[in-house]
Formats: sequence, C-alpha cells, structure tokens
Amino acid sequence: MADLASLDISFTLNGAPQTHSVAPFALLIDFLRDDLALKGTKRSCDVQVCGACTVLVDGLPVSSCTSLAADIDGKSVVTIEGLAEHGKLSPVQQAFVDHAAMQCGFCTPGMVLATTALLERHPHPTEQEIRHYLRGNICRCTGYIKILEAVKSLV
Amino acid sequence: MSAAERPDRVDFLDKVTGRAAFISDLDVPGMVHGKVLRSTMPHARITGIDIDAALSMPGVIGIVTGSDLGGIDPIWGVSLKDRPLIAIDRVRYVGEPVAVVVAETEALAEEALDAVMVDYDPLPYVTEAAEALAPNAPLIHDGVQPLKDFYFKGEAKPVAGTNIFQTYAYETGDVDAAFASADRVFEDSFDFPMVYHYAMEPHCGIASFGDDGLTVWSCGQAPTAVQKVLSRIFDLPIARVRVITPLIGGGFGGKASVKIDPLVATVAWKIGRPVRICFSASESMLTARRLSATVNLKTAVSADGMLQAKSVEVLMNGGAYADTGPAVAIKAAIRAIGPYKIPNLRLRSTAVYTNTVPGAAFRSIGGPQGVWATESQMDIIADALGIDPVELRYRNMLKRGEHVRPDLTPIDVDMAEAMGLASQAMSRLDAQEPHRRIVHGTALGIADPANSPVAGVLLRLKIDGSIAVISSSIEVGQGIREVLCRVAAEQLGQPVAAVSALTPDTAIAPFDWGTGASRSSLMMALAIEDAAADIKAQIGDIAASTLGLDPARIELVAGGFTADDKRYSFADLLHPYFGIDSGELIGIGRISPRSRGGALAKAPLFWETAAGRCGITLDEDTGEIAVKRYVSVADIGRAINRTGAEGQDEGAAIMGLGHALFEELIYADGQPVNGTMIDYHVPTIDDVPAQFETVLIENGGGPGPGGMRGMGEGAILPIAPAIANALATGFGIRVKQLPLTPERVWRALQDKKDR
Ligand code: FES
Ligand code: FES
Repeated sequence: MADLASLDISFTLNGAPQTHSVAPFALLIDFLRDDLALKGTKRSCDVQVCGACTVLVDGLPVSSCTSLAADIDGKSVVTIEGLAEHGKLSPVQQAFVDHAAMQCGFCTPGMVLATTALLERHPHPTEQEIRHYLRGNICRCTGYIKILEAVKSLV
Repeated sequence: MSAAERPDRVDFLDKVTGRAAFISDLDVPGMVHGKVLRSTMPHARITGIDIDAALSMPGVIGIVTGSDLGGIDPIWGVSLKDRPLIAIDRVRYVGEPVAVVVAETEALAEEALDAVMVDYDPLPYVTEAAEALAPNAPLIHDGVQPLKDFYFKGEAKPVAGTNIFQTYAYETGDVDAAFASADRVFEDSFDFPMVYHYAMEPHCGIASFGDDGLTVWSCGQAPTAVQKVLSRIFDLPIARVRVITPLIGGGFGGKASVKIDPLVATVAWKIGRPVRICFSASESMLTARRLSATVNLKTAVSADGMLQAKSVEVLMNGGAYADTGPAVAIKAAIRAIGPYKIPNLRLRSTAVYTNTVPGAAFRSIGGPQGVWATESQMDIIADALGIDPVELRYRNMLKRGEHVRPDLTPIDVDMAEAMGLASQAMSRLDAQEPHRRIVHGTALGIADPANSPVAGVLLRLKIDGSIAVISSSIEVGQGIREVLCRVAAEQLGQPVAAVSALTPDTAIAPFDWGTGASRSSLMMALAIEDAAADIKAQIGDIAASTLGLDPARIELVAGGFTADDKRYSFADLLHPYFGIDSGELIGIGRISPRSRGGALAKAPLFWETAAGRCGITLDEDTGEIAVKRYVSVADIGRAINRTGAEGQDEGAAIMGLGHALFEELIYADGQPVNGTMIDYHVPTIDDVPAQFETVLIENGGGPGPGGMRGMGEGAILPIAPAIANALATGFGIRVKQLPLTPERVWRALQDKKDR
C-alpha cells in the first residue's frame, strides 16, 4: 500500500549496497525488523531513552525507534548482524562474551553497537567518557558492572 | 569447541550477534496483530463501545471486547478469581484492556484503535491503600473467590464487603507482656512506593488454536501456570494446551505467574487466526508493578540493645487485581523480621484492592518492603541507645542453626560472617580511594524463598554422547540454560560442550512450578541429579545384560564409560542393545515434597541472605546522594556458574539502587503520571557506584548438589536501608520514605535546620 508515496532509498547495509522502497513515515526500526527481517535490532522504550534499538548510521549511534527509514538514503548502516566477520566476533562482541557482560541479552545489540561507536571516536576513553557515552543504553539485568569491565578491557 | 574457547554461557554467542530469537522476534505462519485499547478511567462503568468505524478501517480483521466472551470462562486469577479476560462492563484501573483491535499489521491495528469509541460512566475511585480501607471507600470488587492450592500452597483470606483481599497474622511468645516490661519501645512507620520491573523486552505473546488444541508462545515465567489458567478458561484438557517459551528479555517477576496470555489467547480464539500481541513499554508499565507498602514497626529493646519483641504491621496496595499479591503480603511481613533473635513476635499483613495497576511479584516478593523498614529501624535503635549499628546487629544476630521463627527452617548461613566480609571489603575500597567525606551505612536482608518443590527434568543421552536437557525453566537472562548444561555435564561426567538445553515447551518438558523465587537452579539441579542417576542405572543394566559387565565397576568418562580398565563409548553400549547404530537413553528426574525422604518439604528450603554496605556522599545544597562505593555479600553455598552468579548479584543490587534513589510510579487524580520510560527513571551506567564489589561466599550448606542454594534476589534487599542509614549517620536525617529523591532529602535537611 501507499505505493505512490513511497520513496526509493539507496544505502549500504552491513557493507552491502542496497536499494529499497520505503513509506516516507516508516521508522527505521520497523524497516530493519519487518522489511529486512533483521531482528537483532530490539524495540523497548519507543522513545529514544533505552538504546535497545541502536544502530550505527555513518558510524554514529542512532536510535532506530525514532529515526525515519528514508533518512538513511545515501548513508552506511551497521546493525548488530553486521559486526561479526565470517563468524569471527568483533573485538567488542568478544569482550562482552569474555566478561559475561550480558544476561537476558535484550540490550546487548544496542550496547555493543554503542560501545563500537564510542571506541571508534575515542579509542582510549576515560571511565567518565565511557559512562557518559553509554548513558543512553539501559540494561536492567547486569547492573552494568560487567559491561564496564568489558568496555574497559578494550581501552 | 575446546573448553577454553567455550563462552561462559550457551546463549552468549546468539545474544551478542543478534541471532538470538526473543519472543518479540517470532513469526508464526498466518499470524495477525492485536493492539489493546486501554481504559483511560480509574474506575467506571462502560456504557457503550462503538467499534463500527474501526472495523471498516484498512486491514482490520476484527475487534474483541468484553461482550465477546460467551462460551468461555471470562474470569480468571492465580490467587483469587477476580480478573476479567478483558473489561466486562466496568474498568478498575487506568490501562485495563477494554478492546483489542486485530489487523494485518501492528501499524494498521494501532491506527484503528483511535476509531474505537468507549463511553464511560465514572465511579468513585481510590488509589491509596489507606483510603481503600476506609468504611466509605468505593468497593472495587463485589465479591471474589479464593483459589486454594491453585498456584501457591494455601489460600488468600479476603474480607467480604471490603477491599481487603488478603489478611495474614502470626504470633509467637507474649508480645504484649514484652512491650509492657521493655526498657525502650521504638515505633516507626516506613513507606515503600510502587515500582516498575522494566524488563527491557515488553510483554509479548502469540496464540493459535487448531485441531491439536491451543498453542501459546509465551513470555510467562511459569509456563505450567499459564497452561493451567488457559485450560480452565477454554475448558480444554491441560494436555491440549501447549506453552512454548523462547528467550525472554528480562522478567524480574513482571512476567511471573500469569500475565498477558489469557488476553492473547482469547483474541486468537475469537478471531480464529494466530494472533500476536506485543505491548509497548508503556503498556507493560500498565500491566504489573511491585506492591507499595506502609510498614509499621514496634520494637521492644533492653537498655543494652537486645531485641525483646517486635510487631510488624504491613499494609499493601495490591492494585485492581490480586495476582500473586496475597503471597507478597505474607512474605513482606516475614521478611521484615531480619536475621535477629526476637523471642516475641507479632506479624500482621493486609493487602487491599485499589484502582491502580495490579501489584505482582517482583524480585524477592515483599522483601525490599519489609527489609527497608526493619533495617532502617535497627539503625534508629542503635542511634538512640548510643550503640554502633553494626555492633547492635552482632549482639542480636542469629547463629547458623537458630530460628528466625520457630515454625520455619533455622537459618542456614552465618550472617555475622557476611556482615564482617562486607565491612572488610568496604575498608579495602576505602583504602583504595581515600575520601574524607564518605559516610558508610550497613543493612542485612534475609528472605524465605517460596521454593515449591515440584519440578521435573528429562535428560536424553544420545548414542553419540550428546545430551539434551529438557526443562520448563525459562531463560529470562538469569542463565538457567548454562546451569542446566553444567549440572547435567557434571552429573553424567561429560564435557559441558556435549550438553544443550532445549527451549521450554510444555508439550515435552515435565511439569515444573515456575521460574522465580530463586528456585530454578536449585530445583533443576536436584531433578538433574535424579535424572542422571536414572540414566546411570540404565547404563548399568544394559552393560550387564548386553556386554556382561558388572554395573558396580562402571565409571562414566567423557563420551562413554570405563569398566575393568577398558573404555567403552556410548555407541559400544547402545549399538548392540538396540541392534542398530542409533538410539538414546532417557533419564527422568522428578522432584516433589516427598523427594529426598521428605527433606525438600521444609520451608524455606534455604534462606536467601544478603549483607550490604555503602559509602555515600551528599550534596547538601541539592539533597543529591552519590553512592560512591558499595559492597554486596551473599552466601550462596556453591556457585554453578561463578561469573553468572556475580552478575545476578550485581544486577539485583543496582536494581535496588534504583528503588532506593529514584524509582516510583506516581498517581495523581487516578492517573499514573509517570507511566512512560521518559518519565520513569531506572539506573543507567552513570548511576553505578565507582567502586563496587560482590563477595560470594561458597561454604556449601545448601540443599542442592555440592551444597548450592538458590540466589539472584538477595542483593536487592539491603541497599536502600544501607543508604538511608548512611544518611542518618552522616547528616542526622532519617528519611522513612522511598525513594530518597534529592527533594525529599533536601527537605529533611531543612527540617533538621528548623528544629
Ligand atoms: S527503543 Fe529506541 S531508544 Fe528505546
Ligand atoms: S542483559 Fe538484559 S537488559 Fe541488559
């Protein structure tokens, strides 16, 4: 439906160029989860508070629950499915596994992507910077202790 | 995969790569989507629902309301039968489901919601427990029926013609005489607010009816309770209700007992197609919350600080439907006793209906409420008597083997050791970062988990040595799948990499009471012990009959067993036995109150305990508390997964930090005023104390293999009173109401100045 009003967008998704039609009002989270069946992006708060839906757009963490799919036109998007290469975990993923920095795992995709973005920008963040950067990613299970350990192990 | 490469938990690789399929990620062929229209009124009669406009909107398949429930039992519950599947003629709280719109997509269902018109005739409402007790209070239910031994053992005691749905009383010794003759009597009242679980994955469920009955993909923590409730509603045999529980994104009790499955199944039943209903986080906030409480304590003490009598009087706000509130009310009173020798004890608890979100189980039911009161008062007593608060606790502390209450199992840990370790660890942290203005506070917590020793497990040992564990324990983040694998591996002498834990499915998994109350690891470990013994016995029998071996000389080793210095693979055993190179052995483990010679029937099966010590600073201009360091100590007997156990303890403590400092679901004019995640603040990484230490004591002594106990809830108990005690010690203000918001603390500071 709404074919007339749909927009064609081109973007890179986890390294692969793509072209799709999206409704102008479609949220990025729905586009990823429902149209592209990339369910690793999680929905929790819907209001840009929790970070579960975080994806990287041009390397920056973005809440896909409050972003439009149309806005990724011409950009590069990385979701949690795109971090491991040939089955090898990214360093951040590996650190989360090694430090048991997850429990239910619902916050984990967003947390891992936010950490990835943090370390891209600040390869050697202070504890204060880590806390500041990850403040927008809620984890209700771990109490963050092991998440902090995991992130610090990468610094 | 070598042992070194194996991650700490079987579910980590899926979770860290986004492959993990949570319930909200599932697709069932042919499924359509429901969205819930919720009451905007705290209490009202529904005088009309107009669905015509919505029905004609694009993609809408059907709409279900309270007038569609003919042919099924529309009222359900787990403690009291008090809850309609969907509002019938009346709503009792803001957020109660009034209609469900089903459409081809969630978005289309959502759009059509606005077109459903509901007319209400408002009724008087009440949101506070004390008001609900008043003689002229509006009656929220006209009469409710307790369900005896339905989920918990026993039954609730409502009071007819009132809003009271539970009353509880216990007494030992001569309390009145002790008060009359005491040197000092302390009377204090403490308040604990409604708080919200906020499991990050909102409630979600899918239901489908077919020739084989009803299948539900559920987020419920107690699949067999869901199964039972659904079987009653639809008058289906239990065996024809199948509950499948994929990975769940957190629960903390908010998905315990039975929550949304009756609604989801009812809609699927009415529509005649598989239906998925996935709540938003705001809707989940309107689904369950912790019971708020006022706890009045009266404690008689000798001049040298010995506790002589204690009266605990709890009033709990249970919301619009009782859920498991009756059990919470009992536990709140018991958990307010503390690890102290108190010869004369009086416990009273009352829980009432109000026009608010239904109260429900939440990590250590009733525990934080009771412990908040008791551990705050311990410091009040210490201060008044001029005794150091830690010393006062030592003086009154129960020793291992002494009774918290004569009719309960004696305490099975050394609380003095736990408190001592908390102090020591804090001294270490202090030495690491000397800080002049840090003030310390201590609190202890003990809880008697309702372990319901009814559980079961299947172990399937395949001919190639791989093992499947089949259990109803759900993976909600706590790491049960890893625990199942490790215990099965240990009991059968096999490498843990050979073991997998299957997705819980009531069609194949044995009955289990449910996942909660710190019971799953313990109950499943006991059941696995029995199932492994069953398999070992079968191996012995077959080895004797097929290979002519002496069962007494068989020893399990990785991939098989040895006998008389000869090594056999499982295929060496099963191939000749079955005649083909295929097959398996199935071991059954059943746990009941009669297991282990009746030893599992005692209550509680173990004590879940915690000691907490904090170091805080206070900004006296703003009232803002900063928890700089925290130590959490728990005696868990033995850890199956040490890192996992630490993580549970850390998570519980930080969740408790949220309860202590800012979490509170607030009502005004019958409406929840902060019912979204924008307004309701839970701890972020920024709130975590700069120094945090978890000390897990592994002294054995618990009822499980190797002396293990259940764990995962204790650390939520002491943190709030520890912080309040530090405030009192350092700044001379005693705040008796949670959360300890800057405003509340600042006002207390002003009041002190004005005095
Ligand atoms: S779901 Fe997007 S920030 Fe919470
Ligand atoms: S692991 Fe459950 S929310 Fe972070």
